[in-house]
Amino acid sequence: MGESWFQREFLTPRRLAFNVIFYGIHFFLFAYGWYSQATNTKLSALNGLKWSVWTSRGAGLVLAFDGGMILVPMLRNVIRVVRPKLQWLFPADENIWFHRQVAYSMAFWAMVHTTAHYVNFFNVERTQVRPEIALDIHYTQAGGITGHFLLLIMFLMYSTAHYKMRQQCFEAFWYTHHLAFFFMIGLYSHATGCFVRDSADPDYIPTFPFYSTEHCLGYESWRFTIWPGIIYFGERVWREIRARKATRLSKVLVHPSGAMELRIIKPSFKYVAGQWLFIQVPEISGFQWHPFTITSAPEDPYVSVHIRQVGDWTHALGERLGAGPQVVSAMTKAAMAGAEKDEKLTIMGATRGDFVEIDGGGARPLPAVRIDGPYGAPAEDVFNVEVAVLIGAGIGVTPFASILKHIWYRQKRGNLGSLRRVEFFWVCRDAPSFGWFQSLLQEVEAAQADPNFLRINIYLTQKISEDMLWNIAVNDAGAEYDPLTLLRTRTMFGRPDWKSIYGQMKQAIEAGQYLPGTNSQLRTKVGTYFCGPGVLAKAIKEATVASTSSAVEFSFAKVGLLRYSGIGSHSLFPCSRNISD
Amino acid sequence: MGNLIWHEYARLLTITSSVYTIWAAFWGIFFRKFFWDFVGGIVRAPGGLQPSKSNAVFITLIVKAPIIQLFAMLLAFAILAMEVPLPQLKGSSFHRNFVVRIPMLLLQAFLTILFYQGTNASLWSMISAACYARAVVLGEVMKEAKDNRGKGGRA
Repeated sequence: MGESWFQREFLTPRRLAFNVIFYGIHFFLFAYGWYSQATNTKLSALNGLKWSVWTSRGAGLVLAFDGGMILVPMLRNVIRVVRPKLQWLFPADENIWFHRQVAYSMAFWAMVHTTAHYVNFFNVERTQVRPEIALDIHYTQAGGITGHFLLLIMFLMYSTAHYKMRQQCFEAFWYTHHLAFFFMIGLYSHATGCFVRDSADPDYIPTFPFYSTEHCLGYESWRFTIWPGIIYFGERVWREIRARKATRLSKVLVHPSGAMELRIIKPSFKYVAGQWLFIQVPEISGFQWHPFTITSAPEDPYVSVHIRQVGDWTHALGERLGAGPQVVSAMTKAAMAGAEKDEKLTIMGATRGDFVEIDGGGARPLPAVRIDGPYGAPAEDVFNVEVAVLIGAGIGVTPFASILKHIWYRQKRGNLGSLRRVEFFWVCRDAPSFGWFQSLLQEVEAAQADPNFLRINIYLTQKISEDMLWNIAVNDAGAEYDPLTLLRTRTMFGRPDWKSIYGQMKQAIEAGQYLPGTNSQLRTKVGTYFCGPGVLAKAIKEATVASTSSAVEFSFAKVGLLRYSGIGSHSLFPCSRNISD
Repeated sequence: MGNLIWHEYARLLTITSSVYTIWAAFWGIFFRKFFWDFVGGIVRAPGGLQPSKSNAVFITLIVKAPIIQLFAMLLAFAILAMEVPLPQLKGSSFHRNFVVRIPMLLLQAFLTILFYQGTNASLWSMISAACYARAVVLGEVMKEAKDNRGKGGRA
C-alpha cells in the first residue's frame, strides 16, 4: 500500500485527530470508571475484590459509551439531514467505517470486561462477600446471562460481517446482523437487577425502574445509551412506512454486457445526483433490502439502478424479469468479444450498443418493487466550481452516471452555474465488463455540441497481452471510434500520473488556454470529485494540494459510496453493485 | 443460505474460539476452578464451594495442577497453527482436511468446559465444529492457492 501503519494512523492530521479523540475518550472513561469505583466508600465491600473490580467497572463504562455509539452511524436518515451542516466534520460517507471502529473497540473492551468479571465472581464465591457462588452470577442473574448472550451474538455478528463473508453471502451478513435487536436489548438490561450495590442482596422497589438508587449504585448508563436505539428503531419504522408509498417498476432494459437497468417510478422519491438507495423485490425476498447507486439524473422521469447478475439475489431477480442466465451470457459474450459498433456480429438482434427491453406486457407482469432512500452525500456543488474533475475508479464510476446526466440536463437548460468545463476520468482494469456505462458515455459524448466542455479520459490499468496489443494497434489506427470503448475518446493504458495531469491543467489555466476569456483577476476554482479506493484518493488529493497556486485553487471531495475504500481492490466488486453481491 | 462457503466461515469461527480458549486457559492457570464443582459440593463462608470427593480426579487435574488448562491451550495453539496456517503446514493434506478439524474442535470443547473460564470457548468451539461438519457434508474443498502470484515482469 506504500505507507506504513504508523504513517496512516498518526501522520495524517484527520486520522490523528480521530485517534486522539476517539481513543482518548475510551481511556478517559476507563480511568474514570476505575477511579470512581476504587474511591467509592459505599462500595468498599466490593473494593475488597481489588483490581479486577476496578477493571470491570472501568471497562463497563467504556462499553456503555461504545454501546451508545454503535448505532449512531447507522442513523442514515438523521445523518442525511445533518451532514450538509456538518460537512467539515464528516467529509463523506464514512459512517460504516466509524461503525466498524466502534465495533473493534467494543470487542476489545468486552474482552477486558469479561476477563475481569471472571476474576470478580471467582473471588466473590471464595470470600462470600455476597452469599452466592460464581455460577449463580454467571448463569442465574441478569448481568451474567445477558453478558454471555452478548458475547455469543458478537461472535456470530462479527464473523458474518467479515468482508469476505459479506461478499460471498450478503444474506448471511444481513440476517445475522439483525441479531443487533437482541444485542441492544441485552445491552440495556445488562446492568439491571441492582448489580452494583452496597448491600449483600439487591434492593428492589415495586415502581419503575424497580430498583432503589439508594443502594443500587451502577452507572445507570442505559438511560443514555437507549436513545440511539430508540431513534434507530423509529428510523426503521419510518423507512418501512416510506417504502410502502406507491412505487412501480415501469421498465427493465437488459444491456448487452448483462447489466439490467431497472426504471422505477415513485413520485414521492426525491433525490439528487450521486446518492444511492435500497431496493426490495417482495416476490424474491420480503425481508432483504439491497443497496444500489442511483444511475438516473433527478431530471429523469424515473429512478434507475443498474444491476449485474452476480449474487443469488440478483440472479433470482434476472430470472424473474425474464433476463435469465442464457439470455445474458449470450449478450455478454457478444459484448466481451468486442463486437463492432455498427453491424457484423449481431447476436439476438442486439449489437453492443443496444439493449433488450422488457416492459411486462407479456404473460407475466413485472414484479412489484419497493425502494428506500435516498442516502449518501449529494454532488450538487459541482456547479459552484469552474472546472469539475470527476474521477471514478473501477466500481466507483457508478455515481458519475447520475452526475454526468445531471450536468448534461443542466447544460441543455443553460443552467450550469459557474461550471465551464468537465474532465471525466475513469480508471479501471477491464472496460468491456462495464458495457452499460460505455453506452451511457457514448450518449453523453454524442450529445456534446461544445467539444471543449466535456473531456473523457479512460485509463485501462490491466496488463495486456501481446496479441491484444497488436489487435488494438491494428484496429485503432485511423478508426473513428476507440476499439475498446467505442467512444471517440482514445483509451489510455497504464495508471494516470496525477501530478502531471494536475500540473498541466494548472499551467493551461494560468496561461489562459484552458478557459478562454477567464478574468485573470479571479482565482479559478477546480473541484475534484472522486469515488474509489482510499489509496488512490490519497494520491489524487496530494496532487491537488501540490498544484494549488495563487491563480488556481484545487479542491478535493469524495462522492458516492466509499464503503469499500478500505479494501483497496476495485476489481473485487462488480460495477453496478456497490455494497453487496 | 446463499453462496456461503462454510469452511471459510468456520475458519473465522475456529480462530475466534481458539484464541478465546488460549485466553481462558491462561486465566484458568491463575484462578483455578473446576466448572462442575457445584455438583455435590457444599458452600462454605468464607472459602466458597467445596467440591465433593467424587470429583477428586478433576480437582487434581484442574486445581492442584492446571493440567487441563495447559492441554486446552496447547490444543488451541495446534488448531491455530492449522487455521492461520503455519508455513510448514500450508498446503499439506493435513491442512486441507476439514474432517480432522472436527474432533480437534470437539476435544477443545470438552477440555474447555471442564474449567471455570472455558464455557464460552467450549460453546463457540462446538459451533465452529458444526460449521465444519456442514462444510464436509456439502463436500466443500479448499481452493488451491494460486502459485503464480508475485512473479512480475512477465506481462
